[in-house]
Amino acid sequence: MMKLTRRAALAGAAMALCLAAGGTAMAQETFKVGTINPYSGPLALYGGEVNRGYELAADAVNEAGGILGRQVEILKGDATNPQEGIAAVERLATRENADAFIGTYLSAVAGAASETALNYNKLYWDTNALATNLTERGLPNYIRSGPYSVSFADVSIDLILNSLAARLGKQPGDLTVWLEHEESVYGTSIAEHQKERLEAAGVKVLGIGAHSYKSIDLTDSVLRARDANPDIWVQTGYVPDGNLLLRTARDQGFKPKATVFVGTGDTKETLEAMGADGVEGLLVVSYPRPDISEDYGPGSKAYLEAYRAKYGEDPIAPQSMAAFVGFKIMAQAINKAGSAEPEAVSGVLGSFDEPLRTYETGFGAKFDDNKQNQRAYPTVIQWQGGKQVTVFPDDAAGDNKMVNIGN
Amino acid sequence: METFLNIVIVGLLLGGIYGLVSMGLNLIFGVVRIVNFAQGELVMLGMYGAYLSWYLLGLDPYLSALVVVPCLFVLGVIIQRFVLQPLQNEPSMQIFATFGLLILFQNIVLAITRGTGYSVHSEVSRVVLSFEDINISLSRLIVLIMVILVAVGANWFLHSTMYGKAVRAVTQDRRSARLMGINVELAFMLTFGVGSALAGLAGVLLAPIYTLSPQIGGNFILAAFAVVVLGGLGSVWGAFFGGFIIGLIEAFAGYYLNPELKHAIWFLVFIAVLIVRPGGLFGIAGAEEVGLREQD
Repeated sequence: MMKLTRRAALAGAAMALCLAAGGTAMAQETFKVGTINPYSGPLALYGGEVNRGYELAADAVNEAGGILGRQVEILKGDATNPQEGIAAVERLATRENADAFIGTYLSAVAGAASETALNYNKLYWDTNALATNLTERGLPNYIRSGPYSVSFADVSIDLILNSLAARLGKQPGDLTVWLEHEESVYGTSIAEHQKERLEAAGVKVLGIGAHSYKSIDLTDSVLRARDANPDIWVQTGYVPDGNLLLRTARDQGFKPKATVFVGTGDTKETLEAMGADGVEGLLVVSYPRPDISEDYGPGSKAYLEAYRAKYGEDPIAPQSMAAFVGFKIMAQAINKAGSAEPEAVSGVLGSFDEPLRTYETGFGAKFDDNKQNQRAYPTVIQWQGGKQVTVFPDDAAGDNKMVNIGN
Repeated sequence: METFLNIVIVGLLLGGIYGLVSMGLNLIFGVVRIVNFAQGELVMLGMYGAYLSWYLLGLDPYLSALVVVPCLFVLGVIIQRFVLQPLQNEPSMQIFATFGLLILFQNIVLAITRGTGYSVHSEVSRVVLSFEDINISLSRLIVLIMVILVAVGANWFLHSTMYGKAVRAVTQDRRSARLMGINVELAFMLTFGVGSALAGLAGVLLAPIYTLSPQIGGNFILAAFAVVVLGGLGSVWGAFFGGFIIGLIEAFAGYYLNPELKHAIWFLVFIAVLIVRPGGLFGIAGAEEVGLREQD
């Protein structure tokens, strides 16, 4: 047991007082941003990855003078579901005096957390949530700087019409496509948008298949697609169902001329499941990666180096770069507005008119009436020799070439 | 015709998966009369066991059964002895306890893996047997063969060994069995151990087919409950044929109707069977209430 003398106790109390006082002084000086993501549970890896993007952006913003002249401080708010999202925002808004919020890996959390932030009249800036309805709600404090599900659907169709059709030596009218998707609103809304655009371009959609991402068996889905014999097989879903589809397609000898996955399929989890030869040639529409060309994403190489310097490894998932860019746009907006009040920040959004290819991810900035950035698009990678290589759009690909498709 | 045959095979292979997962659940339910909610998690632990043996010892997942199955047997015995037996006179508490185990196992694995999906590699899982237009993945065929062996083996054990007879006696009437000098607690521990080992076996054999996640047990268990109730609570053949029935319905509904509807359709069949035969296809009347069943 340590002996506690009266003097030691006094000294300790004095020190604690000093620390507490120092703490409050700090609190007034920093600009606090609450970051709402899953930092525990099954998605912790990705929530943490998004947060790394914010931390890197905060470093960059602080170097350039901070937000409203104050240094940025990041406060993590762990949220794996909407209830936790609400609790995290309430805690950060009341006890920690957060000035603004940013997120979100999960769309469902974004919906609930942003509404709670509105109760405290705090800005909720979204860099990563994908659901279309988040911006369609017209919530006064909700702004999204990143791509959303419609942008993902659009890029998958641009890929088919502007690149794959020519590679396969076909006119859009002769091209056939099978659209597979997981059955919740996420996959369904993307598949519907894809169908609309493909049919408008004259492409024949042979069928649309829906499945649960928890399915034990997807042989039926694969056989339906295989028997329809499409040129291109498009899948929108999550990691487990995507992997099971790829495995089943391999077992059932289903080899479409091109396979396009939307949203997932570009991580180590798919590579490990299928092996390098199992994913070879697979195309995945996903967040822009640091390997995009400097012309398309100015500063992407510097971002990669900063990431490696800070974390000692390569990015685990591409979401962090979109988070990084989104945070920077938010800082710009708040500084322009001279305040972090939602109304003030919304007021200056109209003045943003940055062309595509301005930021590291190739995003520009032009917000529509729902405060959705209309100049944020995903890119497309192809698995080549066990590596993810950006192959579309052409100017993002730089010297990279698409392989094994047509020609 | 070829498509039809293909779908039959798809259904049988899927039925094998369902049957294998259900076998242990049904054994535990029939004998110990506990609805073991953690059964799916035991399957999940079996899968991660296969991953660990592959990762640490370099064992092929199919060989890892030699390590994983005994480990799960011991785990099952421990669960029965130290978690369920103390609650023996409080059946509803036992159910809560298995539910607690479910959450415990899921979160332990979650904490260790951080939720990343793992995959187990086996050369076997890449082999596909092709006949004309019909493709059979060897890893699924192994599951099918194994479920047949397990069903035949369990049937033999219960009918032709003294231990098996003791287990059946305990199932039919606990008190009389005790009066005949049968050690009821030991029979329970043995049964829970075997049920858990079967879950481990299922996990090992399924590991090369799926991407492992801490929640994967839940994907199997809903179907397993349906299989068990449809086939007959506590009946070995109930789980066996119930698995094939559900597998075939799912394959046919998924291919010919719509994959979105397949679960709705097998639940419709499930409800219809329960209306006609409340004890399940292979259970005897009244089994749904007291878990009594006859093994012939």
